[in-house]
Amino acid sequence: MSGRYLLSKVGQAIFTIVMLLILNFALFRMMPGSPERILGRNPNVSAEAIAATRERWGLDKPVFPDQFLGYVAATAQGDLGFSFVYRGLPVVDVLADRIWPTVILFGLGEIIAIVVGVALGAYTGWRRGGLVDHLGNGASLVLYATPYFLIGMTLLLVFAVGLGWFPTYGMFQIGATYNGYLDQLTDFASHLALPLATVALGLIGQYSIVMRSSIVETLGEEYITTARAKGILDRRILRRHAMPNAMLPMATLIAINLGYVVAGAITVEVVFNWPGLGTLTVDALTARDYPVLQGIFLILSVSVVVANLIADVGYQFLDPRVKA
Amino acid sequence: MRLPLRGRLARTLAAFGLAATLIPPVAATTTAADPLILRAGTTQTVQGLNPWSVVDVVDFEIMTLNYDTLVGFGQDVQPVPGFAESWTRSADGLTWTFKIRAGMKWSDGQPATSEDARWTMQYVLDATTAGRTLGLGYLEPYQTAAGVTAVSAPDSTTLIVKSNLDNPLLLQSYIPILPKHIWSKLDPKVASGTFQNPAPIVGSGPYQVVEYKPGQFVRLQRNANYWGQQGAADQIVITTFKNDDTMIQALKKGELDYARDVPAAQFDQLKSNPGGPIVTTDGVSNTFYELAFNCYAKPIPGGGASTKAVQDPAFRDALGYAIDKQAIVDKAFAGHATVGSTQITPFQAGWHAEPNDLRAFNIDTAKAKLDAAGYPLDASGRRLDKEGKAITLRLAWPGAPEEATAASLIVDWFAQLGIKVNAAPEDEAKLGAELLPPEADPPGKANFDMFIWDWVGDPDPTSLLKVLTSAEIGASSDSLWTNARYDELYKKQLAETDAAARHAEVAEMQQIMYDQAPYHVLYYPSQLDANRTDRFGGWRSQPSQNGNPLFGFGPLDYTYLTDAKAVVVPSASPATASPGSSEAAVASATAPTSSAVPSTSGNTSSSVPLLPLGIIALVVIAAVGLLVLRRSREAAEDE
Repeated sequence: MSGRYLLSKVGQAIFTIVMLLILNFALFRMMPGSPERILGRNPNVSAEAIAATRERWGLDKPVFPDQFLGYVAATAQGDLGFSFVYRGLPVVDVLADRIWPTVILFGLGEIIAIVVGVALGAYTGWRRGGLVDHLGNGASLVLYATPYFLIGMTLLLVFAVGLGWFPTYGMFQIGATYNGYLDQLTDFASHLALPLATVALGLIGQYSIVMRSSIVETLGEEYITTARAKGILDRRILRRHAMPNAMLPMATLIAINLGYVVAGAITVEVVFNWPGLGTLTVDALTARDYPVLQGIFLILSVSVVVANLIADVGYQFLDPRVKA
Repeated sequence: MRLPLRGRLARTLAAFGLAATLIPPVAATTTAADPLILRAGTTQTVQGLNPWSVVDVVDFEIMTLNYDTLVGFGQDVQPVPGFAESWTRSADGLTWTFKIRAGMKWSDGQPATSEDARWTMQYVLDATTAGRTLGLGYLEPYQTAAGVTAVSAPDSTTLIVKSNLDNPLLLQSYIPILPKHIWSKLDPKVASGTFQNPAPIVGSGPYQVVEYKPGQFVRLQRNANYWGQQGAADQIVITTFKNDDTMIQALKKGELDYARDVPAAQFDQLKSNPGGPIVTTDGVSNTFYELAFNCYAKPIPGGGASTKAVQDPAFRDALGYAIDKQAIVDKAFAGHATVGSTQITPFQAGWHAEPNDLRAFNIDTAKAKLDAAGYPLDASGRRLDKEGKAITLRLAWPGAPEEATAASLIVDWFAQLGIKVNAAPEDEAKLGAELLPPEADPPGKANFDMFIWDWVGDPDPTSLLKVLTSAEIGASSDSLWTNARYDELYKKQLAETDAAARHAEVAEMQQIMYDQAPYHVLYYPSQLDANRTDRFGGWRSQPSQNGNPLFGFGPLDYTYLTDAKAVVVPSASPATASPGSSEAAVASATAPTSSAVPSTSGNTSSSVPLLPLGIIALVVIAAVGLLVLRRSREAAEDE
């Protein structure tokens, strides 16, 4: 691997993150309205109380340079400010509590979707035109076209309310008394099952369709014909010759998809009341909680940049032509 | 040839199965020692545990579960014993003597005395005299409006409050009595500002918060030291739902005992299933929605209303005949609302006065009244204002579907009068900023003609009456309307000694508002709630005639709840036993389990350290990765 290539990619990523920081600040100041105005709808609240609130959150200071410089300096020190809606709770604490549920839900969901989606795509591509292809590809298209919300609500109605196998909401049974760690884990897993299935099902269709077309394309290449002519076993052709090349578009797709994690998280988490970044985003948006929104955007944008960096570097292993 | 591939698929699925072992199909977490938990769902988000930061109904609910107010709220929102067990008022009405019950204890076992009440009220008094606001400023107006000037505690069971306003508002004060031994140690500014008031909370109310996850839920534990009747629930969990469909499904499945704010469609569906364990309540809410006009009379450069017509009471009156409020209630709420008239809601049954000469919907009357008031039609059928300009009105509302339906109906009706209405929903915060007049800080331009929005009231009508006073222009007044007689009556009723006289004044204020029509009050929405009866009994509505079981004023509704399963067991015939006696039996039956100090039950906390779970997730990732690697190596060996 060329060191210079890596260095330039890392440099680009850092530059992107700096630009994001600035955009992240500007974006929320451009939104109409202001968080303390919501107090104006209470007949008991005095004008002084509203002014005091503005002062407390630093909203009385000019946006530039005061608010901006304060923001940059604090962010550099890992201080993301204080939440408006949770009445002064540090944003870092708010995010720390919510990031793991989303990482677990979408991390596991992605893995399941990649494994199942790639397998399904490769199989249907390999058996193109057959019954399995028609069924598999049909199912993939349907899943791909169905919004998370609908998949989630259907699973909830069938498996939680109808069959009663799983709980309908949350991450734990709140206030439950557990007999040890395994009991607690069981409770967690049963709460996780439906949202996880929703995430996985939503992604499988997409991955399988891309993998299928990629395999179909690769199988038409001349080196595959050559390999066949050499009498190599079919499964080896698929695994050693077709799959590595077909995986290239998948790597791109997976990296891009990470950017949609929060978008997806909002709908899935809202359906199952899963206490992750998605539900937090909804709360923060309705309450104009700038600091929390900024924190979420920062996490999100940095993770997309890092995911793309990993994908860029990963290409070198997947595709020797990138090592320019 | 195909077989290996299929075999591989099977192995892939086996890898998937590894992840699936994390997902046993049935949750089995109930054990014999489980406490009896009341689970309530709401779509509101708890904003914190500091009582000075309360905003929404759910915040007030949690605050009054934690802490007693000096005087409580009864089943008809009447004053009942709270922190004080009784009170007397001097002949001139300016000195109150409260008797604090002897031997009362905080949830941590410390004695709760008149000194705690004195300290809390003095804390509020110090802040208001210094011109400081407490938290978000929602609570101290209750004490200011009562005119409190001095508090003293001559002995541990006596609290004396002096006032300079002769009104009964002190008996409806929403200020929580805080334990002095905890709060006096804090800096006064921090206490009402950034202090989080972390769980477990020490209070004198029936339940205290022992666990709080911002944006998710609060869990409360019964206060074994509570002075009043003990409710059957050992714990209460109030969960915030981002999606009301999920909340209703959870209620249907029995994972919730109570759901607040049920959408109308689901409400009717739940209601159509009588005899089941779910009971629906179509209660009155203490809320009204109004079509408001920009009555600001002075010119504002680059702002203000688009026509002077909206400042003319005759114009607004005429438009009132072109609004079919019943049609709005039917179309927007499927009937789950009450036709509106005045700024005092039917929830405040004692204060709401239906005005004389109610306008009956009639487009022709509206047209005739507009013609008579000097707003003629031009040749192309457009209504002209007194400057000869065609009237086009802007109409905004914060984007709720009910208001959108009302707005679209109003557009049609006004079009029949020759008045074009440009209607568009607006972001709540943006709309709030647009309504601000030049008097506000920061100054605004009152750049609007009409809007639809709501106000929520207290048990006492003062706050809802106040919104329309001219002193509030620049603060809470949004129609920017002024009326000297209304202002005069507002002050008079605030200091009125005679209840009948106050009623007459409040009624006159409602009549003035209705006639002058800065607001056309469109509807009073219903509070649609649903609860299950298979786990808890003893649900009582507040107000008893037309209210809802929970999320009312004060915490007493929770103390009435009984264990539905335990009620069946006693040998005494349930039919003959009075509700009170069966509740007492339940309370004594469950008392031993609840005698544990709340904080010791903290180890049943559901907050699992997420780090181990993250590690498990990583292990699964690694396992899958290894499996894939192993397989490709295997494949290489196949050659």
